[in-house]
Amino acid sequence: MKLLRKTIAAAAAVAATTAFADVNIGVTLSLTGPASGLGIPVGNQFKLFPKEIAGEKINLIVLDDASDPGKGVNNARRFVTEDKVDILFGGSITVVSAAIAPIALESKTPQLSIAPVGVPPEQERWVFRLPQGFTVMAHPIVEHMKKTGVKTIGFLGYTDAYGESWLKEIEKQAGAAGIKVVAVERFARTDTSATPQALKLTSANPDAVLVVASGSGAAMPHKALIERGYKGKIYQTHAAATPDLVRIGGKDVEGSFVVSGPAVIAEQLPANHPSKAVAVDFVTKYEAAYGKGSRNQFAGHAYDAQIVMQKVLPEALKKAKPGTPEFRAALRDGIEAMGRTILSHGVMLWTPADHWGYTNETGVLLTVVNGQFVVVP
Amino acid sequence: MKRFAFPAFAAAMLLLPLLPVPDFWITQSIYIGLYALVALGLVLLTGVAGLTSFGQAAFVGVGAYAAAYLATQSGLPPLATLAVGVALAVLAALVLGALTLRMSGHYLPLATICWGLALNYTMANMEGLGKYDGILGIPALSLFGVDLGTGRALHPLVWAIALVAALAVVHLLDSRPGRAIRALKSGATMVEAMGISTFRYKLTAFVIAAVLAAVSGWLFAHFQRSVSPSPFGINKGIEYLFMAVLGGVGHVWGAFLGSAVVRLTEDQLQVLLPKLLGTSGNFETIVFGVVLVVVLKYAPDGLWSFVGRWRPAGAALRDWAGAEALPKRAKPAAGERLLDVDKVRKQFGGLVAVNDVSFHVDAGEIVALIGPNGAGKSTTFNLATGVLPLSGGAVRWRGQEIAGRPSRAIARLGVSRTFQHVKMIPEMTVLENVALGGYGRTRSGVLRAMLRLDRAEEKRVFAEGEEQLARIGMAERMHELAGNLPLGPQRLMEIARALATDPALLLLDEPAAGLRHHEKQALAGVLCQLKAEGMSLLLVEHDMDFVMGLADRVVVMEFGNKLMEGTPAEVQASPEVRAAYLGTEH
Amino acid sequence: MDATIASILALDGLSNGAVYALLALATVLVFAVTRVIFIPQGEFVAFGALTLALLQARQVPGTVWFLLVLAAAVAVQDLAAGLRHGQPAGRLAMQALRTLAWPVAVSLLAIWVAPKGLPLLAQAALTVALVTPFGALLYRLAYESLADASVLVLLIVSVGVHFALVGLGLFFFGAEGFRNPSFWDVRFSVGALTLSGQTVIIFAASLALIVGLWLFFERSLAGKALRATAVNRLGARLMGISSSSAGRLSFTMAAFIGALSGLLIGPTTTVFYDSGFLIGLKGFVAAVFAGLASYPLALVGALGVGLLESFGSFWSSPYKEVIVFSAILPVLLWRSLRDPHGEDH
Repeated sequence: MKLLRKTIAAAAAVAATTAFADVNIGVTLSLTGPASGLGIPVGNQFKLFPKEIAGEKINLIVLDDASDPGKGVNNARRFVTEDKVDILFGGSITVVSAAIAPIALESKTPQLSIAPVGVPPEQERWVFRLPQGFTVMAHPIVEHMKKTGVKTIGFLGYTDAYGESWLKEIEKQAGAAGIKVVAVERFARTDTSATPQALKLTSANPDAVLVVASGSGAAMPHKALIERGYKGKIYQTHAAATPDLVRIGGKDVEGSFVVSGPAVIAEQLPANHPSKAVAVDFVTKYEAAYGKGSRNQFAGHAYDAQIVMQKVLPEALKKAKPGTPEFRAALRDGIEAMGRTILSHGVMLWTPADHWGYTNETGVLLTVVNGQFVVVP
Repeated sequence: MKRFAFPAFAAAMLLLPLLPVPDFWITQSIYIGLYALVALGLVLLTGVAGLTSFGQAAFVGVGAYAAAYLATQSGLPPLATLAVGVALAVLAALVLGALTLRMSGHYLPLATICWGLALNYTMANMEGLGKYDGILGIPALSLFGVDLGTGRALHPLVWAIALVAALAVVHLLDSRPGRAIRALKSGATMVEAMGISTFRYKLTAFVIAAVLAAVSGWLFAHFQRSVSPSPFGINKGIEYLFMAVLGGVGHVWGAFLGSAVVRLTEDQLQVLLPKLLGTSGNFETIVFGVVLVVVLKYAPDGLWSFVGRWRPAGAALRDWAGAEALPKRAKPAAGERLLDVDKVRKQFGGLVAVNDVSFHVDAGEIVALIGPNGAGKSTTFNLATGVLPLSGGAVRWRGQEIAGRPSRAIARLGVSRTFQHVKMIPEMTVLENVALGGYGRTRSGVLRAMLRLDRAEEKRVFAEGEEQLARIGMAERMHELAGNLPLGPQRLMEIARALATDPALLLLDEPAAGLRHHEKQALAGVLCQLKAEGMSLLLVEHDMDFVMGLADRVVVMEFGNKLMEGTPAEVQASPEVRAAYLGTEH
Repeated sequence: MDATIASILALDGLSNGAVYALLALATVLVFAVTRVIFIPQGEFVAFGALTLALLQARQVPGTVWFLLVLAAAVAVQDLAAGLRHGQPAGRLAMQALRTLAWPVAVSLLAIWVAPKGLPLLAQAALTVALVTPFGALLYRLAYESLADASVLVLLIVSVGVHFALVGLGLFFFGAEGFRNPSFWDVRFSVGALTLSGQTVIIFAASLALIVGLWLFFERSLAGKALRATAVNRLGARLMGISSSSAGRLSFTMAAFIGALSGLLIGPTTTVFYDSGFLIGLKGFVAAVFAGLASYPLALVGALGVGLLESFGSFWSSPYKEVIVFSAILPVLLWRSLRDPHGEDH
């Protein structure tokens, strides 16, 4: 009985196998679950991915991992064994990227991670990160704090990897700048209230509070602080650089500071900013498909994946055929040797020693004025 | 044919990696094996013992996190991490079991939801366990110098463990502790009256299920090479129960069938549904939810019941000829005061059900307790056998106070009983039901049962059971399913079961109720024969003819009071008794 | 922690508790009439909140299509059953009409009116009108034919329904979160505390519902008739009480209360398609505290859960769920020892 079922499944799989010459890309995103706010915009941008690059048909296979690294691993396994993908895009959150990195290594498939992720040295070779690292993103915040005389800060962030990485980074950079972290409060993505945590922070009364949350979830803790009467500066991270923050936060987020990659404020970039043209292209195309004001940080990374593929694919095709290990190796080498590449989020420079790529100047500090993100002068 | 099914299946699963099947099939098959281990525990816990648990995923988490933490932080070899994980799971199961297994009815599954959530959130928030991101970089399993990796080499290990576990459970269910666990579903009263501690066996089933889940977790950690809280949450717990229910929660192989069906469809649905619905996302839960409801409505026995129909039933064996008899207790001397019911009283709030009633039963007698409906006869019975606590008075057995003792302790002293409404296990055969009575006279434990070391003792029990059935004239029906019997033979079977406990005093609660005339005559003959063999009996009965021809003494109760006591002739002649039954003012 | 902080936490806890109380009431209500432990109660809350949010955004809420799909499913089920029993076509048509009438009417209204942008109260009314029918429809689809089953089987069915509803919620509402405006935007100052108008409404609604439900079930004949069906279905039917009507009515009331709760929690939290489960579970903890029988105890239990959560998250924010759910274990133990269930024959 089981054998019969397996035979049917096999037949179906054979019927669904794609043609050999296409370039297969496996994409695992958190389209549902607590991190969906990050994954959905990425998914939306991938819907605009070109169907053909350098004369080869592109087969983009998108699967949801529901913010669960286990499912992400499952998706990745399916991609490398069943769909025989040439490159992996994913995950959209740190934990998933970290979980599938070993599979990228095992199967010798390059991985473009859409989340900042730290991996053990042996897996570093096959993993490239599209988003800016936490060090890069924390830099403008700490610089601004130094400039405006902030001496003490509080932390209100997620209990997960995103929160943890930011905490480590801010403690390091703030410490180096002589700023003390006086209070650390955590909350879960799924929490409906952060009042007790906000209460503790307000009574500690630091000069500034850093809220580390993502998408629409970043509004709740922010509002909690305002409701508890906190009067100091509030900083948000780049995962909150989305219209959702303003939509849900309303009046309460006015005047707060949000760090972001350049993509989100494309029009406000000075003319001589290298990413201006690309960023404007991204914003125009995305908003044409999804509505004015729908631009956000995460979709920008998906757009950048497109640029990388457009640059690297023609070279790799000269060296090997898609679907072979040599092709995957050629892609990896090509990405590593790509050199200075202009992405919507800044100038990317991956080297054999550095698979993060962005420099400290990439992050831009924005502030919310009348419901719009505006660059801080 | 049936004999070859299991070895063939085992060989197929163990040798699968050698065949040129795609890697993805192997991956799926490993997942099925892992899930089946957990579902197996649920079959034992929920299907057999009747304890619904939504929290098994948390135990998987305990095993997985223990393996992950120790493998990455310490240099312990994998077998040691397995031992630690299992030990932790057993500890957690004992604590949680002690707390929750005393809960009745629907409170238990609710408790499992709560502790499943609590355990999951604890694991998700502990600093050392990586919080929501979990632990990464777990090495692949390496046993005895062989690196098993995460693919074809790991597959036989997973399936070997799963199959061994399944065999162990099958062996367990067909043994002395297995009969006790299978009896749990029928309610505590009868089981305790056979001298079995229901709490102990509930805890046993619970711990075994936790161990299976922890082993699955250990394998899972080394297979996936990373652990995070998400696979051990309440949704997964529900999914495991779903697998067991879909496959057939009362059948061991249902666990494998259910796991396979769920895993394979989940995989297909993950790709199919987004295409069908036009958006991306995890929509499999819709299908699972709907299928769960449909299965419960139309096929509550699960898919295995459809498969099971095709398998030919095994021939009933009779392999215990010549088995040594079980130890018998020394019979009391004729005339010794066995049971002394001394001014017992039972009050339910303001209602006095039994009002200072006293009587006694001597060895070798048949005493009948009669009275109109609502007189308090069954209540008195329950007081004497420890099923109900006393509000006042004393009950003595051969001089010892037994009031306040649990019914299983009283059963072990040599008091055995039947029930007003027949309490038996319909899915077991007549012989197995009777063998349940032999529990107190045998000793095999869970481990011996799983290792099949209890065969000799089992033969003795079955021989005893057959002997008791022969005594009441039902030996030829011993291999029938008890649920298929009509009421008369069911009552006789209960008596045989009570006899199998080798009692000194047999209490029969309305043994003739619902029997036809010639069945009553046969029963009367059996009881007389028992008395001739030295058994003492205390009966509760309504049927006058039945009682009068049988009893040595009759005690009459009315409205909780003892009306009179005497020989059958005296009682029949008494005007008070007549008035009590016919309702004349007196 | 000083008195000010304690009082702020207490207020926060009580406000959350009042919402849990509404859910606890609905849970007790459904159990008292149908013996169903209705785990998916939280889903009604999420659907109510999301429907209002989408109406606020001037979109046609996914609830409309969801409702139509459910109504169609029920109509088809009834049709199949009727055909199998050979009932006349006219009767089947009337039955289908009665099933579909309200859902279709209210859906058409929503489709017509949504893009226009109604005032908040009108949108709230429309939300309730859209979500309330879900109750009876779900009952008819999943529970009605199993009405005689044991409590455990009904519990597992509830779990299945919950799974399906969450998945369908994802499909019909999408994965994004929403927040709703407050119904009463004022803030009252009571000493050092600020009480929002919304909280006042929540308290008032909870209290009104408790009193109303208690009066209905204890003092009115209709209420007692409903309770009778849970105690003994056959006996109640012999007395002329339709157990299926009782079931449908109680589920409708539960959906109504759920939708109402969804309207009320909107401003304080961001609601996603799957937020309902945890909220429902906490209300459910309170219902168990009440032995799934007493309304006033359900309120007390819910307030207790809210306070426990609030103080627990102040004391140790990551572990607050652990505190809340571990605390229920002794309560469950106490409860089960107090009402030992009779043996299932």
